Amino acid sequence: MEKIILLIPIIPIGIAFLLFFIKKKELIPKISIMLSSMIALLALLGSYYVISNDTQIIGFDGLLIYNELSAILVPYVAILGLVIRKYATKYMWDEAGYKRFFILLNFIFASIYLLVMSNNLIVLALAWQLMSVGLYLLVSFNVGSKTAVKNARWTMYIHKSADFVFLLAVILTYQTFGSFDLVVLKEKWLIMSQSPINDPMIFAVGLLYLLAAMMKSAIVPFHIWLPYTSEAPTPVSGLMHAGVVNVGGILLNKMAYLLILTPMVLNLAFVVGLFTAIFVSMLMLVVSDIKRSLGYSTVGQMGYMMMEIGLGAFSLAIYHLIVHGIFKASLFLESGSIIKYARKDPNIPERLSHKTFSQQDTKFKSTKTFKLMVLFTLVPVLAFIGIKVVLAPEFFEFNAAIVILAFAWLTGTQLFLSFFKVSKFDSIKAILGIVSSFVVVLFTYEFIGLSLEHFLYGKDSLLFYEAATLNVTLVSSLVVLFLIMISGWFFIYKRHIVDKPMKTDSPNKTKWSFYKLLVKEGYYFEIFNSSKKGKL
Amino acid sequence: MIANIFFLLLAGGLPYYLILEKSDIFSSKSIFKVSGLFLLIAIILTFFIEKEIPTQFVIISFLSALYSIYRATQTTNFYKLAYYFIFMNAPFFMLFESHGAFYSLSLLVSLIGIYAIASFYEKHYGSANYLYVRGITLATPLVGIHITVYLISIGLYPPLPNSLFFLTYIFNSEADLLWFIVVITLYFGNFLVSMKVLEKSIFGKTNPNIHYVDLNFKEKITHFIIIILLILLSIHGIREILLWVL
Repeated sequence: MEKIILLIPIIPIGIAFLLFFIKKKELIPKISIMLSSMIALLALLGSYYVISNDTQIIGFDGLLIYNELSAILVPYVAILGLVIRKYATKYMWDEAGYKRFFILLNFIFASIYLLVMSNNLIVLALAWQLMSVGLYLLVSFNVGSKTAVKNARWTMYIHKSADFVFLLAVILTYQTFGSFDLVVLKEKWLIMSQSPINDPMIFAVGLLYLLAAMMKSAIVPFHIWLPYTSEAPTPVSGLMHAGVVNVGGILLNKMAYLLILTPMVLNLAFVVGLFTAIFVSMLMLVVSDIKRSLGYSTVGQMGYMMMEIGLGAFSLAIYHLIVHGIFKASLFLESGSIIKYARKDPNIPERLSHKTFSQQDTKFKSTKTFKLMVLFTLVPVLAFIGIKVVLAPEFFEFNAAIVILAFAWLTGTQLFLSFFKVSKFDSIKAILGIVSSFVVVLFTYEFIGLSLEHFLYGKDSLLFYEAATLNVTLVSSLVVLFLIMISGWFFIYKRHIVDKPMKTDSPNKTKWSFYKLLVKEGYYFEIFNSSKKGKL
Repeated sequence: MIANIFFLLLAGGLPYYLILEKSDIFSSKSIFKVSGLFLLIAIILTFFIEKEIPTQFVIISFLSALYSIYRATQTTNFYKLAYYFIFMNAPFFMLFESHGAFYSLSLLVSLIGIYAIASFYEKHYGSANYLYVRGITLATPLVGIHITVYLISIGLYPPLPNSLFFLTYIFNSEADLLWFIVVITLYFGNFLVSMKVLEKSIFGKTNPNIHYVDLNFKEKITHFIIIILLILLSIHGIREILLWVL
């Protein structure tokens, strides 16, 4: 009976075919939402079954599986799909191709469900490619717009390359390990991980999966499709930033046990993730187009996700992609109503944080505030380390410890920056705001991260951390982290607290070149333009 | 050897359209009919004659395919495009051994769809040239859907049969350098050409100076049959994959 859950990927295809024959416009969203609710219910039921019975649902001759990963991701995608469909009901009403939109939306959801629930590399390959074509047709939905069509073309080029790399990886996987079944492969990979492996073919397979994931998740240098597809309808943007772009992370989670055999690939994932997170976050700050800026923000988050995978924190990457997906989808879906209200009322959007924090008496001097902040930021980090030392001392044997501390610091820094920006005046409220947010973020991350890790991988999670561990000692890593923290604080202090006069009026050439590099978005289009004689 | 030469010719391994294009007797329409018929004969023959195409023939057909890709990027005529695709995919017929027949059959069905679209364009818009009849998706969605399905099928996307037979082949075969070169080139060649045509034909704003016409009942039936054939081939393709995987 529980095998009915495995019908989830087929239902959206059924909905799409049903919609094709429906003439009445009002019925299109109604049917779509009603049947999608059924998917969401089935997904929740499936998750309940998997969690309560501590088992997996396997069916269709082992082609589909509803395991721990599906139990987390399928309800997430189903609920997201429901919200997007509901939102699109009115948003897309006046658009030409209303029915086409809902049909395509159902196709892409079918491919996402199939991808998450696949237990066979061939099924995974089919879902992987189906998603590419669905995305292309959705991104180019605004068929009358030349830029939408052009950007869809770029998206398609990158996704087709990802499809090809993925197919190559599947072929090599079969040739190397002799199976397409992911459960069988997992067992093989686990056994193989017990002895040292030095097979270049396994490395090549791992690398190809990483490359395919990088392309779909818009990691540098394959990032360019995401920021430029914002011309797609808002529900599509929501879906892209919350769902489609995450498939790289999902793929790597499915391949987690293979990546134990290829520590170099994990290290590479960490490096590209780190570079993406930093470089693209800088691009995000300099681009003038708000939608592109949001696109770059998603790319930056994908960089973080890739970093987490590179460190063996696979479950954390899943948590990250879900949290980011919810956040970014709500950001996109809310943008329309904010624009609508802002057109009517000049005081909207209301600067809530400014209102809360800036209208306070300035009781504290800048330097004192800074010291307090440093103190209050150190306390939760130290508390976090203390908790970890007591609860899971083995955690400090791996790089992940350093990274989670680094994330903690990064979050703290972001909070610093954002609060300094909104609060011209120093107040105890601002400090409390920073510290409480920081503590909440840190502990939520820690609590959910650990729970998810237990649920998805159990004791095997230590294997991932072990595989991803770089040959650096904990002390040296901590020293590096400490230096980064100090320099970060120094930068913030210099930039925001101390009122120093500008040194000279002469422009700094290096700074300008760097700024130009960022403004030109890494000279991506210049390179293509010169190679195509001015035609993009 | 003679059988192989026949296969090479019939499957479009040699660009004989160059001669036919120069002749006054053959229009683009009839070149497609001739090359399509030849391909169909080749497909039927593979069920009776075992083919083992030598590497040299694969190389020849690959060179011809490269030239056909170039020609396909230059044309905006659906008829020409239809037969260029036959010549572009000839190396797959040579390489794919037993799976080659089904791959070529599904290609042929998709191309018959393109041919039907070309006839529709010729009948209603005066020529099979797609470049100046933009905005098809918005004005005549049904035509848009059919063009999309045929071109996506040729562009090797699942769940359409071309892609399924292609996958069955590539997962089954022993790869060497020639295999890699041919498969990679044609995988992207088919994709790039079909996406270019898709973009130029179905997208764009509607032109108020054009009187758009959607499919009539007879045309709908024709395309319905083609789609049914593609679905049947897809089912067979999925069966082939699953039989092999499980």
